[in-house]
Amino acid sequence: MSVVTEGTADAARTAASGETILSVNDLVVEFPRPGQPTDFRAVNGVSFDLRQGETLGLVGESGSGKSMTALSLLGIVPAPGKIIEGSINLRDRRIDNLPVNELRKVRGNDIGMVFQDPMTGLNPVRSIGSQLTESVLRHQDVSKQEAIELAFHALDDVGIPSARERLEGFPHELSGGLRQRVMIALALINHPEVIIADEATTALDATIQAQILDLLRERLSSATMILITHDMGVAAEICDRIMVMYAGRIVETGTIEEVLTSPRHPYTVGLLSAVPKFDIRRPKLVPIPGIPPTAEDIVRGCPFAPRCRFAETDCDQRPPLEYAEDRLVACWHPRLASERKK
Amino acid sequence: MTDIADNNKPASQPIETEKNDAETIPVAKQTAQTLTKRILELLFLLMFISTLLFFLLRLTGDPAAVLAGETGDQEQLELIRKQYGLDKPLIVQYGVFLYKLVQLDFGSSLANAQDALGLVFERLPTSFTLVIIAFTANLIISIPLGAWLGSRPDRTGRKLAATAVFVAQGIPGYITGLLLIQLFSVELGWLPSIGNQGILSWIMPATTLAAFQAPQVVRVISANVAEAMREDYIRTARANGAGFNTLLWRHALKNAMLGATALIGAQVSFLVGGSIITEVIFAWPGLGRLLVTSVQTLDFPVVQAAVFMIAIFVYFAITLTDIVFLFIDPRLRRQRA
Repeated sequence: MSVVTEGTADAARTAASGETILSVNDLVVEFPRPGQPTDFRAVNGVSFDLRQGETLGLVGESGSGKSMTALSLLGIVPAPGKIIEGSINLRDRRIDNLPVNELRKVRGNDIGMVFQDPMTGLNPVRSIGSQLTESVLRHQDVSKQEAIELAFHALDDVGIPSARERLEGFPHELSGGLRQRVMIALALINHPEVIIADEATTALDATIQAQILDLLRERLSSATMILITHDMGVAAEICDRIMVMYAGRIVETGTIEEVLTSPRHPYTVGLLSAVPKFDIRRPKLVPIPGIPPTAEDIVRGCPFAPRCRFAETDCDQRPPLEYAEDRLVACWHPRLASERKK
Repeated sequence: MTDIADNNKPASQPIETEKNDAETIPVAKQTAQTLTKRILELLFLLMFISTLLFFLLRLTGDPAAVLAGETGDQEQLELIRKQYGLDKPLIVQYGVFLYKLVQLDFGSSLANAQDALGLVFERLPTSFTLVIIAFTANLIISIPLGAWLGSRPDRTGRKLAATAVFVAQGIPGYITGLLLIQLFSVELGWLPSIGNQGILSWIMPATTLAAFQAPQVVRVISANVAEAMREDYIRTARANGAGFNTLLWRHALKNAMLGATALIGAQVSFLVGGSIITEVIFAWPGLGRLLVTSVQTLDFPVVQAAVFMIAIFVYFAITLTDIVFLFIDPRLRRQRA
């Protein structure tokens, strides 16, 4: 995928001026871990603000807590996990401690979510139309007939051919790309303020992936979106700002331009070295050695230290997320621009 | 079936297109095709069953001896054999049997000279009363119970209930029947224990049948619901604000019923031909009991007619199940023209 363009840098600047829509503070999501002294923290003290019109990329390897962060925004962390600390505010309203009935009005209505796997994400025995209208009728005060019209327009808007006939159809009649379009239509149908796309293109072929990315970019250029991906290339395509997560924590955050051109955290450096580029000057891909800590591991100090080639003895203490020069980084030894020049 | 497999394959086309350009076949037409196929199969099956039955029955005893009774001498036996065509070679008897079978003539009962098929038809309404009541009771109990058990299988109350269902599944129908008779007829005297004497007399036999079949359905539905509740589409619906009841009844149960339908269909076929023990216990004047008495008295025209009829209804139940599948599983509905 291509690197950052001037357009996205401009978008980042406009985005920064927008008002804060979603605000997450010190979010902790825990899963009980029987037989061990401490529970597993899938999300461990995550804070961020999402501003109007901004596309925020949440990047990291599998198991870094990206999806759990997204699911907790909707209050649908799978049992037995739950949010044990922190707060989530949508505009001025705290939503993480709402009663279920209230929370259900947020889901799909204020925050819409597109999931990773379009092959299993739609109910196989219910028509596409009925799955769309179910959501419309839940959140909007419209008649059945109006809901069907809205469903038709939702499908049409995401580029599904002969959308009218598709309403009667079933998911298995559609290809993966078209099913993902249906998933996007479903997430957008009630015009939520915030869209979360969780690996929305990961399960698709490269060409379809590009089509879906185009669709997201086109339909959501002015929307406020969180894009979860493990693919730096995808993030570079459409994000204004990037948050890199590792082991349930944010390790670096900055504009897409900053992060791509001068990554501070060794993990971000590693992620970028692992992105294929059509550039003969770069000799080869450099994988990050080792694997991230799993749910069984008990992490002390910097969770990335065991895999980090810059690790030193002080890395056995947990690094706070602090400004290193211009950027928030959780590392004792960030790759500073000033040092790099030496 | 190959078409269905194709439909489930993940898309691999480089350019996004509709996957299946095939014409959609209307459900009505597919139903008609299914029926035609089934009827042809049924004809072969009936032929096979009748042949098997013909030879098996003649291996098990001499009907002429039964007819003549203990007092019958050799002369009487000869007379009876001649009268019923039993003196001819077996292969000739078989030919005659087949010729009559095509005309649906099973002959007369050896016991009372009534038309065998007529006797069977007489018993059908009584048997079907039982089948329909037991089937309905089964569904009314098992669908909600199974959905409830499967929706939150980790809760204590449901674990206990699931254990009870498991135990209930192990209790054979004749034990349930005898216990019911002991309690409601002998001890309390509330319900009649034998025969078809109106609504009150239907309760115990129907309960006996349903109590035997419902636990199986409950267990299948609850397992399927539990599995469905973990599926991605449930998460999608949740993320769109669906409440627990919508998730369970409108999303999970519909998928769970796919697996349960096969079982329920098989149970109906069992009820049609297999409620024999229950009919005997409650002296229920149905097809099952007629079959048992006819076998005991070697009344083979009646046995043949009864088995013939049961085969037809079992096949009917299976066909109906197939058609129900077309309605509840959209993936079976469309195939290439």
